[in-house]
Amino acid sequence: MDSLVNQLKMNFPGRTYQIERLFSLFGYKNEPFVSSVFIYGPSSTGKSAVVGSLLDGLEIRNACVNLVECYSSKVLFESILNQLSGHKIDPFKGHPYAKCDNVMDFIFNLRKCADEVDLNKSVIVLDKAERLRNMDYNLLPAFLKLKELSGLSVSVIFISEIIFEKYYFKARTLEPIKIHFSQYTREELWEILRLDFDHVQNFIRNNFNENFDINEEFFSNYLNLFLSVFYRVCRDLSELRHMSKLNFVKYCEPVFKKECKLEDSMGLWRHIAPILKASLEVLYLRISPVSQEGKQQSVEIKCDGARTVKQFTFSKESLAQFLELPFYAKYLLIAAYLASYNPPKEDKRLFMKYHGKKTKRMKDVKAKNIVSEQLNTQLGPKPFGFERLVAIFYAILEEKVDFNSNLLVQISTLVELQLLSMVSDNCDLDSRKYKCCVSFEFIQIISKTVDFNITKYLVDFN
Amino acid sequence: MSDTTVSVSKGVFVFKNGGTSQHKRVRKPQPDGEDSCNIFSNKLWYQSYNRNWKILEKKLKTLNSNMFSSILSSLVESIKHSHNTPVTEIPTATLLTGINMPDHSALFSTLSREIRKNVTPHVATLHAEDSQNLKYVIESTVNQFVNQTLEDDSDMEDCENEDNKKSKVRKSSCTFSLLQAWYEKLYGPPGLRIFFPVKRKMRDGHKLLVVIFPDFESFNDKIIQDFILIVSSYLNKLPFVLVFGVATSVSAVHKSLPYHVSSKISVQIFNSQPSTTYLNNVIENIFFTDDCPFHLGGKVFNLFTDIFLFYDLSVKGFIKNFKFAMLEHFSFGNSMALCTNSRNLKKALEQLTHEDLERIQELPSVKKFIINPSPEKKSKFADDDYFKNLMYEKFQEFYAYLNSFHLFLKCLYVLVSDLPKSPLGKQIRELYSTATSKNITKTSEFEECFKLISFQSKDELYEKISKVCKILEKEIENNKMNKNVTEEFSERLINYIERIENATTVISESPLKPQETEENLVIGKMDRRQLKEKLLEMSKKSKLMNEYEKIRLELIEYLKKTFEQYLQEPSSRSFHEIFFFNDMSIKKQIIGSHRAAIHAALNDPQYYLQCNCCKLQNEATILPSMPDVSILYKLHLEYGKLINLYDWLQSFLSIVDPDDNNEEVGKRVVKPELQARFTQAVADLEYLGFIKSSKRKTDFVVRLTWGG
Repeated sequence: MDSLVNQLKMNFPGRTYQIERLFSLFGYKNEPFVSSVFIYGPSSTGKSAVVGSLLDGLEIRNACVNLVECYSSKVLFESILNQLSGHKIDPFKGHPYAKCDNVMDFIFNLRKCADEVDLNKSVIVLDKAERLRNMDYNLLPAFLKLKELSGLSVSVIFISEIIFEKYYFKARTLEPIKIHFSQYTREELWEILRLDFDHVQNFIRNNFNENFDINEEFFSNYLNLFLSVFYRVCRDLSELRHMSKLNFVKYCEPVFKKECKLEDSMGLWRHIAPILKASLEVLYLRISPVSQEGKQQSVEIKCDGARTVKQFTFSKESLAQFLELPFYAKYLLIAAYLASYNPPKEDKRLFMKYHGKKTKRMKDVKAKNIVSEQLNTQLGPKPFGFERLVAIFYAILEEKVDFNSNLLVQISTLVELQLLSMVSDNCDLDSRKYKCCVSFEFIQIISKTVDFNITKYLVDFN
Repeated sequence: MSDTTVSVSKGVFVFKNGGTSQHKRVRKPQPDGEDSCNIFSNKLWYQSYNRNWKILEKKLKTLNSNMFSSILSSLVESIKHSHNTPVTEIPTATLLTGINMPDHSALFSTLSREIRKNVTPHVATLHAEDSQNLKYVIESTVNQFVNQTLEDDSDMEDCENEDNKKSKVRKSSCTFSLLQAWYEKLYGPPGLRIFFPVKRKMRDGHKLLVVIFPDFESFNDKIIQDFILIVSSYLNKLPFVLVFGVATSVSAVHKSLPYHVSSKISVQIFNSQPSTTYLNNVIENIFFTDDCPFHLGGKVFNLFTDIFLFYDLSVKGFIKNFKFAMLEHFSFGNSMALCTNSRNLKKALEQLTHEDLERIQELPSVKKFIINPSPEKKSKFADDDYFKNLMYEKFQEFYAYLNSFHLFLKCLYVLVSDLPKSPLGKQIRELYSTATSKNITKTSEFEECFKLISFQSKDELYEKISKVCKILEKEIENNKMNKNVTEEFSERLINYIERIENATTVISESPLKPQETEENLVIGKMDRRQLKEKLLEMSKKSKLMNEYEKIRLELIEYLKKTFEQYLQEPSSRSFHEIFFFNDMSIKKQIIGSHRAAIHAALNDPQYYLQCNCCKLQNEATILPSMPDVSILYKLHLEYGKLINLYDWLQSFLSIVDPDDNNEEVGKRVVKPELQARFTQAVADLEYLGFIKSSKRKTDFVVRLTWGG
């Protein structure tokens, strides 16, 4: 048994305490299992992985269910039963082991299942347990007390990203045993990433298409550099792993091109530092460059991949230019923006030719001096009615077009594109309300393409 | 059936039609498509239309697949290789499609076909409209995977497993565990459960599972997030690939996915062509060719392109409009059957009856043609055979004209498209619409273009002319029509090219020199004012041209003359109505303007009712015979923003029941029947959205519309 623990400790650096705790709970065959264990900690800290490998290593019969998948409790029960009973679904019929609609059915069928297979000392693992809060109210208490309810020696492991206190439910009679998976420290991350060495070596070989040898020290040096940049902004292991892999290719490049030597860590650092900083900005975005024909080319493209990706996603200009809208749709969008960011009482002054004189009052003078946080454009869009949108549309459009169904369709297209959002209820056909979801920079570019001066029609700028 | 639907309340009743299942219905081969069941199928014009449309449709299809092929092939290729290396994230292809939604269906159906053909048989397509919640999404995904292959199996194995065929997996039992079981049955079980990062390489033979989301933006964020999380948890057992169709930009993906989800996918971006390029392609390669005898006139063509550019950017819509115009054109009568290729012309002519010929003679351009040359010979036209022969000749001329029209338009396009400010437009479609509506060579833009060309440098001009030559060469190779014209033109141009190439840009100064020195001497003696005058004079004097400039001038003159000859507008030709459709009355059918339609219906009910009693002498008159709603509507047009109900009722009564008028207005007793009619009509108007009850004043309603 000790060998298993040691093996796990090797595979999961920094998880020694948690592995030992879990082993003490489940590792001893002759002791009864606890009824429920609650494991919590931030994402990608090895919760599911540790539990899974421990249970597999101890050869404990288990059912592992990801609750995201369970849109109804029926799916949850049936997949637990399927796994515990070892039921193979016939893909031509698709019948589960047993049909369960509620907890009672589940417990009944669980007992029935216990007659067929030995369910003693089996474990049910509920991953993403925080989803339980939005499911049937009796699920959490039932699973907490499953041992008691079913009369079987079945224990339940909850894996969650939030603490147990956030599971608000009444009659909290039973508190599970809690194990916390803490965030990895920098050293631990370094050690975990180092485990990828073989994998990365293969990856590098694939990428450079040649016999290109790197040693482990070279890689761990790189990881040190990498973490010095990334550790401050991101602790998510899977993200770090992804980024380190991508950037390692670029790190190796000078060596491959024979510009630097393998040992010249300073030169390599000077080469990689700007690249790492650039890729910080595309963290979590996961955009890989557009597929290319040749490998050789791919390397080149990957070099400025980070930059192009940045262009793709961040510059508003490119977005507005990429987006091709029909002429009237652009005007509709502008009208929507104006309706969202102007108070309705100003409409008359802004859009009518003869709106009469406005007497200056003390209030207006004061209103001039408002701070920028109170500007309409800074406050976020306000909802507006359909009629107002159309009225403004006709006011800003110079030529006369008749109001036809093609225009109406454009409005719903804009909603579909998430440039507008519908505020009112979908079934309320009479008074539809919308909000404009685009930013000022965006609308400025759009209005530039149709030669429309938007600032002239915004209260904030007058 | 009427018995069963009697109910106290309103309701919707479902009757199961005892029809065959959808499955069977699809398989039933339809004999000869729509031809057999169409009432027009034996009409001459319809046959002609059908033939032409079939040709167009076929060309469209090939064009579509060619157009999509470049982007699709790279997409399919990347999908193919996505699982070659071990993955930790779901490989995701994001296809930026542009906003013209209706066109996407073609793209995505081609995509899924391509994937099926080249990569994997397992493709599921999820549409936003039937993905209300996660349950539906999962069920429909799994259902598409599992049941679709079952069908294929049963196709192959035929009757072997009869019962399998029948027992499709029920939708409610479609879960991911089922999918896993199904996949393992197909390809064998995966390795042991590996919790450490998935480093398993996909084994050969394991086919990918591709899920396509054609309209990513319209999906609920939550659903997509959950779906991605689930898929990523199964990624080590099932090789999933996602394809997102994004209409706006990549940021839409990141907007709807939080970090913990977006880190589960690895996105590759593919850009598709903008829809304007698509349209230009379609127009140039399909509608602007000689194979399509049917042409849009300038006005209608403008209308269609305007709809495209201003309203929807939908190529599919454009093609639909084109088809509609074509139907409208052909349904004019059998005489339109002549709008066909030169090969079929003779046959079509033979089939025409005397009446058809008479109708042709009625066409304005033909009428002019008949009267113009020889009014005394008019009787000759009554002779069918004579007229047919004449038409045959004339049509041959017309074909030649059409051919040269397109050809020279293309040449002109090459010359003028990249001029500064492009006076004639940047697209060939703009040239076409000008050229078909008026004589393009007479326009000021044309003059301006040639002025600009005459400023072009040697290299620029050389390049352009050689491009034109290439077009001509291609034309000479492919087409037999107008061969001598094209050949001559091309020869002349080649000649010019050679001359341009050899021409020097240096001014041949030798004859000038003595004069210049002489003038220099004179300058020395002049005072300032004289000098100024002299200089002005000199600048006015035409600058002496070098050799190149001379050739350029000559070339431009030649080009102008040629274009003038061949780019006459079609309406100057007789019989142009047969080939060009320029009837703007179809605008009403193409652009549905509902408000105008409602206004017309209420203002002039006779327009729709076609009754004799409601004929209006002028717009404003109100007749008692009209429907109540329309009387009230016409009355309400006369009011201001607020309408007093009582006044309204009185005016209503004075129209509907004018006999009672002599009584005093105030004391008048309103007949309950009339009041009921009035109330009903008011309610109708409110329902139509013209008025609403006012909260500020009792017994008043507010008008909601303005203008006519």
